[in-house]
Amino acid sequence: MTTDLAAGGTGATRYAGARINRVEDARLLTGQGTFVDDVSLPGMLQACFVRSPFARARIRGIDTSAALDLPGVHALFTAADLNPGVHEQWHTSSGPQTPETPRPPLAEDEARFVGDPVALVVAESRYIAEDAAELVDVDYEPLPAVVDYTRAEDADVLVHEGHGSNLIGELAGLPASALDEVLASAAHVVCETIHQQAYAPVPMEGRGLVLDYSPATGELTIYAATQSPHEVRLFCSRLLGMPEHRIRVVMRDTGGGFGQKIMVQRDEMCLMLAAPKLGVPVKWVEDRRENLIAAGQSRHEHATVTLAFDADGAIAAAGIDHVSDCGAYPTPWPVTTAAAVGVLFPGPYRVPQASFRTRSVYTNTVGRAPYRGPWQFESLAREVLLDIAARQMNMDPVELRRRNLLRRDELPYSNPCGMRYDSISPLETFEQAVELLDYAGFRTEQAEARQAGRYLGVGLSNYVEPTSPGYGYYATEAATIRIEPSGRVNVYVAGGSAGNSIETTVVQLTADALGARLEDVHTIQGDTAVTGFGAGAAGSRSASMTAGAVRETASILRDRIRAIAAHKLEAAAEDIELADSRATVRGTPAIGLSLGEVAALAYFDPFALPPGVPAGLEASARYTADTRSVWVNATHACTCEVDVTTGQVRLLRYIVSEDCGPMINPNVVEGQIAGGVVQGIGGVLYEHLAYDDDGNPVTTTFMDYLVPTATEVPTIEYGHIETPSPGPGGYKGVGEGGAIGAPPAVVNAVADALAPFDVSVTRLPLSPAAVVALIDA
Amino acid sequence: MKPAPFQYHVPATIPEAVQLLAELGEGAKVLAGGQSLIPMLALRLAVFDHLVDVGRLAELQGIERRDGQLWVGACTTEAAVEASAEVAAAVPLLARATPFVGHVQIRNRGTLGGSLAHADPAAEYPAVALALDAELEVVSPRGHRTIAARDFFDGLWSTTMTPDELLVGVSFPVWSGRSGFAVEELARRHGDFALAGVALGVELDGDDRIRRGAIGLLGLGSTPERATAAEAELTGRPVSDVDPAAVGDLAMAGLASVPTDLHGSADYRTRIGAALVTRAWTTATATATATATATATATAEARHG
Amino acid sequence: MDETAVHITVNGRARTATVEPRLTLADFLRDACRLTGTHLGCEHGVCGACTVLVDGAAVRSCLMFAVQADGAEVTTIEGIGSSDGELSPVQQAFRDCHGLQCGFCTPGFVVSVTAFLRDNPSPTDTEIRHALSGNLCRCTGYQGIVKAVRQAADTLGGAPR
Repeated sequence: MTTDLAAGGTGATRYAGARINRVEDARLLTGQGTFVDDVSLPGMLQACFVRSPFARARIRGIDTSAALDLPGVHALFTAADLNPGVHEQWHTSSGPQTPETPRPPLAEDEARFVGDPVALVVAESRYIAEDAAELVDVDYEPLPAVVDYTRAEDADVLVHEGHGSNLIGELAGLPASALDEVLASAAHVVCETIHQQAYAPVPMEGRGLVLDYSPATGELTIYAATQSPHEVRLFCSRLLGMPEHRIRVVMRDTGGGFGQKIMVQRDEMCLMLAAPKLGVPVKWVEDRRENLIAAGQSRHEHATVTLAFDADGAIAAAGIDHVSDCGAYPTPWPVTTAAAVGVLFPGPYRVPQASFRTRSVYTNTVGRAPYRGPWQFESLAREVLLDIAARQMNMDPVELRRRNLLRRDELPYSNPCGMRYDSISPLETFEQAVELLDYAGFRTEQAEARQAGRYLGVGLSNYVEPTSPGYGYYATEAATIRIEPSGRVNVYVAGGSAGNSIETTVVQLTADALGARLEDVHTIQGDTAVTGFGAGAAGSRSASMTAGAVRETASILRDRIRAIAAHKLEAAAEDIELADSRATVRGTPAIGLSLGEVAALAYFDPFALPPGVPAGLEASARYTADTRSVWVNATHACTCEVDVTTGQVRLLRYIVSEDCGPMINPNVVEGQIAGGVVQGIGGVLYEHLAYDDDGNPVTTTFMDYLVPTATEVPTIEYGHIETPSPGPGGYKGVGEGGAIGAPPAVVNAVADALAPFDVSVTRLPLSPAAVVALIDA
Repeated sequence: MKPAPFQYHVPATIPEAVQLLAELGEGAKVLAGGQSLIPMLALRLAVFDHLVDVGRLAELQGIERRDGQLWVGACTTEAAVEASAEVAAAVPLLARATPFVGHVQIRNRGTLGGSLAHADPAAEYPAVALALDAELEVVSPRGHRTIAARDFFDGLWSTTMTPDELLVGVSFPVWSGRSGFAVEELARRHGDFALAGVALGVELDGDDRIRRGAIGLLGLGSTPERATAAEAELTGRPVSDVDPAAVGDLAMAGLASVPTDLHGSADYRTRIGAALVTRAWTTATATATATATATATATAEARHG
Repeated sequence: MDETAVHITVNGRARTATVEPRLTLADFLRDACRLTGTHLGCEHGVCGACTVLVDGAAVRSCLMFAVQADGAEVTTIEGIGSSDGELSPVQQAFRDCHGLQCGFCTPGFVVSVTAFLRDNPSPTDTEIRHALSGNLCRCTGYQGIVKAVRQAADTLGGAPR
């Protein structure tokens, strides 16, 4: 499969599509990475927050005297000190008009969740800062809290008085009543309420910033753990009323994000406001307990879902009525993300009619934050319901899906909520999964095992997802490529990689685009002073957008290189081929110039250049997305064994059959899928960001918040299908899909294993105790 | 997540250590491997003004036979216990339990004595010590005394040692005869604290009758538990007469303070506890049954020779 | 604040510092020695990102105080692989097998695996997974990591079992 970069006449696609070893690895494997906590500046102080121990409390007063008396403490800020410094605070993706939750940097009169930042301590070391934090005396008046989001709308207590309600917002498509007729006449209707627990991204590195403000120059440098350095800069500029060009944000290495580090949250706002007051650099890095109680929760939602079928099992209608827990301070405004659950609920199936309603509510818990495939609940609910339907209709769940999955020849297809899918292959991808699984063989194995009193199960899931958003501030991406005087290449892109390998993939793309050797290309990312504005690594956008940016920029340089070489070699520009960092005349490879020789001409001999060709070999260009969404689909298949005595689930095989289009680097694609799959497995079987009835977080350390280890995960097998997108290179996004497809596959496998017990799985997580309870019921 | 300040003491001898503990009182804590203590300090769940580091005292290290028992110094690391051929031969239950203790990185620092003194009811070593009627040797400025395991654990993270007593060693009885041992536990992930577990030993006489059973339970109370009633019920019976499922149920009877938490209710723990005891019983009795009397005698003689 | 002098050999080099007793070995390495390759992922002994070798044994440096390591020899990630930048077989295997993405957990894994293969040159697949269970990763799903350990074991010459 060649890409259009190759079709542009650069020569063969040498690197795209290959399992190239990563350029990031040399530093990361040797401990030479630079994560935000590795940054140390002269005179740097360390910060630590005082956080509310109550889910809801009036803050009557804060006595900082004992804390300030502690040797080594430099400053202590409360809301009165920092909050007035806010000029404007809004995220670029939301815009200034969105009716956002009020976002006071430090809690003012009211603490609204356990972990709510109430004061900021700055001291010589984190050790002393924590000592001082314990000495800050906050006079709290505990108040009744709203903790159960399913009752939040009717609760007496308002999380945000000024909002007048705990309902943040509601978005709906067709009302449920629009389906009354089709439901009444359907051969079969299945309806369940499906509940997902709160869990969280839990990157191995928490959030953090180092800020270095120079009063003399008015320049602020921020080192950040982030997925979007430019947004950090822009947000900060608005927040402080400081000109954007005097702020520099640098991220070198970020230790995972998965959505939690896309947007600036209140804690970071506090540091931005405090930094200019300190006169010395300041660092804040959250510890694990803070990450678990204050960095944001996700996935906490439920919905009543309905599917109607005709006599042959063809879907006649789909409906979803969904509510999600958004905590006290959701980031960003959650209502439109919730609507994605509604509009994507029909999935990659042929669905004639659909209704949806989504509601987002406040509670006195930590705010909802983005997490890999934030709308993934739609796939969980739909795929679990499909299996329940299959069981009720006495149909094979594979056959039920086969009848309803969209085929390539039906595309483009507009789902009943207006989502127009193209360039996907749901049925074909599904059939590949079924074959890789040897579905019939598994059913035989399952039957034999049941005879022996062992309970094996198989679960499948299909999803379609929009990647690479082509609207708003996500819609463009820029690259600068400098071919240096020696002929070596530097490619600059905005970056934001928290592990998604875009240093390597951008180098691969650039090497291909210029016909340069991989080792001659280097990339610089994540520094707002040297790279063009980019929205960062979010929405599985990096592959498509960087491919476009590199293509736009490289094509300018390619033309120049060929023109310069042609002129020097006395050949036609169309006959110049670029490969191996050389420009050669087609048919006579011995006749050519190295990129270094071309560059030397461009930089040092400008008067010898052909007319119309500017000096130097640098170019910048910005790509604008071709489409509003780049659609991707996949099928996940999982087999398991359930120990019905203990309720433990052991995963046996895990297969991902996906169509993410052509791959820049198959290692990277598979790695992204694997990471998402294991987070999905964690979300079904192990992870639970739990609160007690009073709103106290219960899982505040890794001893209680259980992240899967190597012993809990199976070997993942992959099948790739490559349906190109209309976008550059045909590339699509793959970062989020693993976390979307995995939970339903695992749930369905467990439910299938427990089928002899007539168990319906509609509530997560499936801890061993929960499985046993299901069997007992 | 940084600990609160403390003063650090490194006594050169055991007497110096206990003298320090006596002087410093309740504000002092013994530091051995630190694998249980340091997380609590980091989370500021516990604060001590003084830590007394006994980890380097040579007299607290070692594994050796003493008077027909196996003595393990309190500061012997779990890794050393795991690697010890002596332990494997003399106290198989201890050898079987050790791989369940956390992960290798924990076992490289964590100590047997530290685990016992920390007295977590879901830990393996307290249940093993209780099952085997180990003897715990403690020293204070008042001298030595030995505390039987059954008298050692008196509550959640609590022992009957006085604040000025230091655990210096543990003696484990060595079982000769036709015996079998098994450890079963259920943890959410490999290496996690058990939701429930059992450390079990059974010895048969020459006629395949149960001479004795030792059933230590973890995760099923605020201390490790000993299923003494079940053991009494089993003693003297032909092993083939005993239904392993019944052993599981017997072992769970009478447990008064099975915990309930996010990971499982008391009912759930009791239920899997029974299943785990059943599995352990099946394994251990199979081993014991397969051990021929003559072999057992020869082995016993070799050990005592 | 009782500070005390510690002498610790780190990656073959003698280091001396005056430290508070509560300073963890991890923070000593990161701050006093400026060896920031050892990372803090949890500071309560579960994630393994802080793993170093103390007298050859893999330990969680967040669960040791620097004062406890007085007189010891510590090897950090910076001491694995040669000083001219050549990767050790374990490091190379992680690279070849895409065993890292963000790299935050990686030093802990590399150190743990280095010790594991030294002590268990011919591990079974189950033994490999058990040995890895003391280190958490959020990016890779462990797929590349398991493969890396297998490759490193083969490279280091352990016979398959």
